[in-house]
Amino acid sequence: MIHNTHFAQYIPYTAMHFVTGTWTDTAGDVSGTIAKHKAANTETSVVTVPIMIPSNSIALQGSKLASIELDYECETAAATSVTAVLHKIVRGADGAAAVASHPTITQDLVAAVAAAAHDEHKIVVTLTTPVWIDNDEYYLCEFSFVCGAAVTIDVFGAVANFTARM
Amino acid sequence: MIHNIHVSQYIPPTLFHIVSATAAITHAAGAVSGTIAVNRGAANETSVVTIPIMIPSNARALQGSKLVSIEVDFINGTAEFTSHTFVLNRVTRGADLGVAVVDAITKTDSVAATASHAVDEVKQVVTLTIPEWVDNDCYYLLEDTIVAGAGGGTCKFLGAVANFTLRL
Repeated sequence: MIHNTHFAQYIPYTAMHFVTGTWTDTAGDVSGTIAKHKAANTETSVVTVPIMIPSNSIALQGSKLASIELDYECETAAATSVTAVLHKIVRGADGAAAVASHPTITQDLVAAVAAAAHDEHKIVVTLTTPVWIDNDEYYLCEFSFVCGAAVTIDVFGAVANFTARM
Repeated sequence: MIHNIHVSQYIPPTLFHIVSATAAITHAAGAVSGTIAVNRGAANETSVVTIPIMIPSNARALQGSKLVSIEVDFINGTAEFTSHTFVLNRVTRGADLGVAVVDAITKTDSVAATASHAVDEVKQVVTLTIPEWVDNDCYYLLEDTIVAGAGGGTCKFLGAVANFTLRL
């Protein structure tokens, strides 16, 4: 049995889902990096990170999701807030809808203060109780960017931290 | 302990990042029925294609993935390009309020920049001179700068494969 508590998976922004706002692919501020750029506008944009790590149909095997990190930048001005929510999606059987629930998490940067400041950010979302991922479910980490008229946003990528057991 | 030196990860073109001034970037069927591609439309301009290397990393040294090489499949169509130039970057993520740091990784290309331009199917293999264990604070981006030249050719990206050692 392999049990490694230090695994991580990079999730590029190209795998993420962006709703509301004008988002474009662009080069990052640092040469050689990539980013999704949101144009300035007063609105709330939602960025959803699909957590792409292995699951397992046997209990207590596969991946135990512990935390998710998102790298982004509030450019030009501070945002109003940046708030994370984690969704657990249990896939539906044929003919049935999926069921969503919301595991308890904490984010290390305060939504309307440190997370929204005009600067580059690495926000860490930690599950209160890490979860083993069943093959009939997946996780989506949603970040709501509440933006005023002046702020632009760059999203660079995410990392999921987990235990791998095989 | 699992130590497997033959693990690979397919990276679909839907994860690629393509920036070009005017060329249309679209999802398209591949040349072979049943395959998929991201197509860079004809334009006499330079485009930059960045491939995120999605393999596991690890917070402990000498565990997780040791990146060895990356293969990229693409098709140059319509007209010859001037060149495809590949650069492999390691991005070390910044702490909160810090910027990322990028280092170019020494590597070799199986197809030279000036030889990858012909109208043909190309399999470029980028091999790290010194394979690297991937830390959880780092990720890798393979960048292909396409210089189209006067012909303004099209280019279909079919996907990439990262080859690595997996140690658990």
